[in-house]
Amino acid sequence: FADLAGMAVAEDIPVEGEITVPVGAHGPDEDHSTLDEPVRDTIMRDLKAVGKKFVHVMYPKKSSALLRDWDLWGPLVLCVSLALMLQGGSADSKEDGGPQFAEVFVIIWFGAVVITLNSKLLGGTISFFQSLCVLGYCVLPLTVAMLVCRLVLLAGSGTVSFIVRLIVVVAMFAWSTLASTAFLADSQPPHRKALVVYPIFLFYFVISWMILTFTPQ
Amino acid sequence: RHPLATFFHLFFRVSAIITYLFCDWFSNSFVACFVTILLLLSFDFWSVKNVTGRLLVGLRWWNQIDEDGKSHWVFEAKRVSTTAASTEAEARIFWLGLIICPVIWTVFFFSTLFSLKLKWLALVIAGISLQTANLYGYIHCKLGGQKNISRITSKFFVTADVPKRQTGRISEDRIEEHGKTCIR
Repeated sequence: FADLAGMAVAEDIPVEGEITVPVGAHGPDEDHSTLDEPVRDTIMRDLKAVGKKFVHVMYPKKSSALLRDWDLWGPLVLCVSLALMLQGGSADSKEDGGPQFAEVFVIIWFGAVVITLNSKLLGGTISFFQSLCVLGYCVLPLTVAMLVCRLVLLAGSGTVSFIVRLIVVVAMFAWSTLASTAFLADSQPPHRKALVVYPIFLFYFVISWMILTFTPQ
Repeated sequence: RHPLATFFHLFFRVSAIITYLFCDWFSNSFVACFVTILLLLSFDFWSVKNVTGRLLVGLRWWNQIDEDGKSHWVFEAKRVSTTAASTEAEARIFWLGLIICPVIWTVFFFSTLFSLKLKWLALVIAGISLQTANLYGYIHCKLGGQKNISRITSKFFVTADVPKRQTGRISEDRIEEHGKTCIR
């Protein structure tokens, strides 16, 4: 194209075509100076992003932070802490809760992947990792419920403690489902919303069931 | 020039592999080993993706969601005009570490599968996916960077190029934008 560079465009020749200009941010940095930023800045920036997302889950308003800048650190931390708190509750404690730990892990991640595939097959506009991010972060209320349940079980395991645990788990389950539905259902066409919401309901139901039926040894 | 970055590039990956192989020596608890290896793999993924890639070889890749909610994978390569001996050595260490470790985790996958120690399978699969993701991302960056040189020069002849541009190639357009700003 070297010889075209010097060509002048005459007035009477119509020039047409398409110019695509990338809109929005140019990447994780606005200018190229963050290519050389110190590592501490990178770490702090990512930590703050994770913290902001936790806050957004607790107060689920329409916000783009959970959706646009997805990351999977929050889901990893929540999954590990939930799995740690859930272990050691089986009838046979010959093994140290090994398979149970991996079970919780697999249920959460495989469940999230299946829900994401389901919503994509139904024609959702959300991307794979965004959906995993939202589902993972919305496990936070249930993790809090698990913590509360463990504390209540320290006090005793009678009927009263069961009722308290039931109320807490149901409340947190509703919170999780509503929070994730608020973020995910909007990306679906209107007549498909129920089809997308019911697997999410099922997913959090299974986790809540694991939490409610947990009895320590 | 970046000894600390080189050290950490290899440290997390190798520690994860060593912990997996010798977990019985360190602790009796399956859970502690699982969590430790998982955390090491995650730190390795984050540090290789965000730090050692751009410091050692000047490559970077990330995912971006634009206003329509569509996701784009962007691969970026820094144009380096000089290659000193120390950067060559660092680049070699980077690529060796990047390639050898996923291969080792694949070997672990088959050994776990055939020895039926299935409770480790989830961890091995997580290890393979995290390390292969980084490998794939950086290979894509590297291959994209080599095609870039001719693109950057042709960008200046916009009048000739304009009818050929399609909206679908936004990621390559972004590489051109970055290629211009990254010229040192």
